[in-house]
Amino acid sequence: MSGLVGAPPAQQTVGISEMLVRSGGEDVLVTYSLGSCVGVAAYDPVARAGGLIHCMLPLSKIDAAKAAAAPAMFVDTGVPALLNALFEYGAERKRLVVKVAGASSLLDEKGLFKIGERNYTVLRKLLWKNNILIAAEDVGGQVARTMYLHMATGRTVIRSQGQERDL
Amino acid sequence: MSRRDEVLSRLRDVPAMPAAAMEAIRVLQDPRADAQAIMKALEHDPGLTANVLRLANSAYFGTPRKVSTVREAAVRLGTKRILRVVVACAAAPVVRRGIKGYDLPPGELWQHSASVAVGTDALAEVLKAALPASAFTAGLLHDVGKILLGTYLEVDAAAIIQLAVSEKIGFDEAERRVLGIDHAEAGAALLESWDLPEDVVQAARWHHRPDDAPGRLITLDLVHAADALSMAEGLGIGRDGLQYRPSKAVVLRLGLTTRVEELTLCRVLVALKELKDMFAAPGGR
Repeated sequence: MSGLVGAPPAQQTVGISEMLVRSGGEDVLVTYSLGSCVGVAAYDPVARAGGLIHCMLPLSKIDAAKAAAAPAMFVDTGVPALLNALFEYGAERKRLVVKVAGASSLLDEKGLFKIGERNYTVLRKLLWKNNILIAAEDVGGQVARTMYLHMATGRTVIRSQGQERDL
Repeated sequence: MSRRDEVLSRLRDVPAMPAAAMEAIRVLQDPRADAQAIMKALEHDPGLTANVLRLANSAYFGTPRKVSTVREAAVRLGTKRILRVVVACAAAPVVRRGIKGYDLPPGELWQHSASVAVGTDALAEVLKAALPASAFTAGLLHDVGKILLGTYLEVDAAAIIQLAVSEKIGFDEAERRVLGIDHAEAGAALLESWDLPEDVVQAARWHHRPDDAPGRLITLDLVHAADALSMAEGLGIGRDGLQYRPSKAVVLRLGLTTRVEELTLCRVLVALKELKDMFAAPGGR
């Protein structure tokens, strides 16, 4: 009965080390518990193709077998996979609106656990090499975040510390 | 009565774990112990038995053929692993509940606790170190103090996190300033009142400030490091967020490097996926 007027759009959850890509539709893609992980939402408003990925670690060389089985676990294999899937749905690089969230850290002035920082650095480098600008981001700090991508409009929302805001 | 005394006077309000489970935890500590007593105790606890079988049949423990009795599961998995299963099943109802004051929906603290428990295991494996028997249990129970504070005393973490952020101090230190006690000490008092092994109590007590612990304890170091990694992974993070300061001394003692941390996180994630049946629904009866 999804055609009922006023029925809420379906929420599709993207787990840690997973990605989802959609073309059109009214779904809302959501990923929870972004700590040091990075979430990337990419949307082409003309093709209405969009995707959301939740990468846990920066570089796949740490475990090539896992990267082959689950490319979305790593920024360097996951984000290219996300972009390629979007291009297959007709998205174009110059129209892609890319938003980033996550990369938090502990209160870690000594840099003992640098996963968030490394995730973000590798992501920036990769997008730069692909000639893609980050349109908006909500990164760093000591909070966990939830990221939503509305497929109908490309609206991206961050929920953190009990508050929601558009990105 | 001070706020601290009020907290400590409420220990008895938190329901303890089933007797069979607490016995399993004690046996887990003793390498020479005989598991027969646990099996016997379990046979009289059908809810716990059902959960133990469900977990023993999960991908994480990877039994090739389904097991249908605890004895069969013990033969397949070995005494050590079956005891861990029992401990996990016993801890689940305690840590699965939501904690309103800390903004943890039901299941979130359980995910975090399980990821710290399997994290101690993964760390020891990656570091090729021997895993102390108490680490798994300590990982599962290190945060029980949040239940006491957030549910039974209705502490509102929002005010505490405000102080922590503005002063750039750890959330636990802000808890101490506001309440006179932090969730680590409250948890340790709770575990002690349940008569759990000293290493488990001490690891909970000092998990946010291992440098202040009276003695060195590998279990504590592993729980501290696995907790840091689990928070990084973002699992079961409440209002306190990642507002904690990791210990350099622990990182040096364990020999943690970026590579070790990342390899460990890979393993934890795989283990949690394999254990997902445990999180799916409140099991048992």
